[in-house]
Amino acid sequence: MKLLLVEDEIDIQSFLRSSLEEAGYQVDVAADGRTAERLAIENPHDILIVDLGLPDLDGISLILRLRQLGVRAPVLILSARRSVDDRVRGLEQGGDDYLTKPFALAELLARLRNLLKRNSPPGTEATRLRVLDLELDLLRREASRSGQLLQLTTQEFVLLEFLCRNAGRVVTRSMILDQVWGMRIQPDTNVVDVHIYRLRGKVDGKGQQPLIRTLRGVGYVLKDH
Amino acid sequence: MSLKTIKPIMRSAAWRISLWATLAFACGTMLVFVFLHRFVADDIQRRSDAWLSGEVEVLGDVAERTPKDALYGRVVGEVAELAGKEVPNKLPSEGGSNDSVFFLQTAANGSLKLWVGAGSGVPNLKAIQANRVVPDRPTDLHVQGFGVPFRVASMRIEDGSYIYLGLSERDELRVLRSLRLRFILIWLLIVLLGFGIVFFTTRRMLSHVRRITEAARGIGHSDLKTRVPTTQRNDEVAQLALTLNSMLDRIENSMHQLHTITDSLAHDLRSPLTAIRGKLEMSLSAATHGEQAEPIVSAIDELDRLTDFLNKSLDVAEAKADALRLNRSEVDLDELLKIMIDLYEPSMSEKGLQIRLQSDGPLKIEADAALIHRMIANLFDNELKHLPSACTVSLRLRVEDDAALLILEDDGPGFDSEVSLHLFERRVKGKDSDGHGLGLAFIDAVARAHGGTVAASNRGKGGAQIAVTLPLASSEHPASPVTT
Repeated sequence: MKLLLVEDEIDIQSFLRSSLEEAGYQVDVAADGRTAERLAIENPHDILIVDLGLPDLDGISLILRLRQLGVRAPVLILSARRSVDDRVRGLEQGGDDYLTKPFALAELLARLRNLLKRNSPPGTEATRLRVLDLELDLLRREASRSGQLLQLTTQEFVLLEFLCRNAGRVVTRSMILDQVWGMRIQPDTNVVDVHIYRLRGKVDGKGQQPLIRTLRGVGYVLKDH
Repeated sequence: MSLKTIKPIMRSAAWRISLWATLAFACGTMLVFVFLHRFVADDIQRRSDAWLSGEVEVLGDVAERTPKDALYGRVVGEVAELAGKEVPNKLPSEGGSNDSVFFLQTAANGSLKLWVGAGSGVPNLKAIQANRVVPDRPTDLHVQGFGVPFRVASMRIEDGSYIYLGLSERDELRVLRSLRLRFILIWLLIVLLGFGIVFFTTRRMLSHVRRITEAARGIGHSDLKTRVPTTQRNDEVAQLALTLNSMLDRIENSMHQLHTITDSLAHDLRSPLTAIRGKLEMSLSAATHGEQAEPIVSAIDELDRLTDFLNKSLDVAEAKADALRLNRSEVDLDELLKIMIDLYEPSMSEKGLQIRLQSDGPLKIEADAALIHRMIANLFDNELKHLPSACTVSLRLRVEDDAALLILEDDGPGFDSEVSLHLFERRVKGKDSDGHGLGLAFIDAVARAHGGTVAASNRGKGGAQIAVTLPLASSEHPASPVTT
């Protein structure tokens, strides 16, 4: 996967570059709009990360210009601004996504994956999800572990489905709030943790291998091996 | 026009201005007429006096020269009668007899010597004697039996007798009466016309002011782009509009500056925060031992809390300046509360708290969804952090006075009495609170930015109550039913 990172802050640029490369992306870096434009045209990328505050050009203008030049790759917009302005909203509706600074790396990676998946040709939508001995029937909204049906509430099923779809990858609390409850909030209480504890109580029974792991300071991961 | 449309018109400034202007106009024209009337009356009087004096001289002449024989009475009488017919503008009197002029001659002893005119002449003589009519100066004379006074001129002739010539003022008064009548009619007409003209011009002028007021009212907290309507003319109203618009320009400008400052502040703080967080995360993934990871994890937690504090502080600062930017969309408060309760319920029951919602069903407001989400989360976080176990949080959602009313009550210890006066100020918090003291200030800021209110109080029975009102979405407004 080829990725173009457009970010002018050297600190952010360097850590993003190394973690993106670690995640398996081939990263080109541009520190300003003009370089970004040149790089984007010279060789096509699968996905772009664009910071809104560039020294020479507004990030939105850059994206619109690239679109005019025929760049079709999805864009993840990084914004240090407080409010999401209407133009970002417009791009979001056009298939791009945004993330406000500061962010968790896991969330950045998850959003990149989502964008790539959204823009890839649709495969056959699975009706069953399987992670080790955990099995989810998406049509009947039922989950079972080692053949044993789990008694889950609707909300718990959605949460487990989200974890399964991201099995083996870290999900943060704000990703869970965004994807399962549909809100970008940052509660200063442990509301998400309690949901996870409850789900874990039902999924990881006594004597079974624990599937839902907590990564302190980062989030959660559903083990897939 | 119905009574309903008349009432506001009578309260309008245009109505008052036209009333006063018309009053001044009416008084002025009335004064002019009074002078005019007096002038005309005096002139008519002067003319008839001149005629009377001339005639009485002629008659005196005739009376002197005519021999005092049997024919004397007839000759003088006929001359007097002829004189009476000369009266200009005379209306024929009822009955054909000439009652507008009389001629009277008294003997030297004061008895009636000769009489030409309507009636016996005795009352006329009585009136003359009672009034002491002086020769050569015509005077008014009221005679019993006649409604209208006479103007009488007299003359003494050589034999010691007096002759009197009287002219009824009837015609003079008739002219003046018709003059008054016509004037009153014309006066009424022009006063009404003047009122109409003044009323409609002031109304037209003030309608510009009304349009400016309406436009200015429409310019809300966050909508500073619109301007009040201006006209081509360069009068006071147009200048008012221009002044308002330039004031709005300045306000928009300073708002813009405030946004620039908060944005660049946010940007300047967030960029290093992003870099720090990223580096911490990278070293966390490199740390293998739990002991190494622990301080990094708590550093990340602190950093996230700092970020949240930064966001809220800037939001509260902008909201205090009425400059919070909103991305409005339709939000169903009922649905949102249910999702929030679903999210918070496990944490609450873990702590031994109960939460209940009492709602009348879907309730849509026009609001910035992200801000409303954060506001409700803040309310719930507050309860979760500060309530002791075994308490109940009850939420009530309903429409009241064209607004969505959300009441949150608990049966906990309530607000500290020392802070309850300053609940909505920044950095005010209870003694035992470990928060930043921004919670309620943020809730207040969000509600105000949406044109709503927040009231916090301690309930009589103990426990805290927070009441939030938010304006309804236009489609929910009961006053404007949707017709589709």
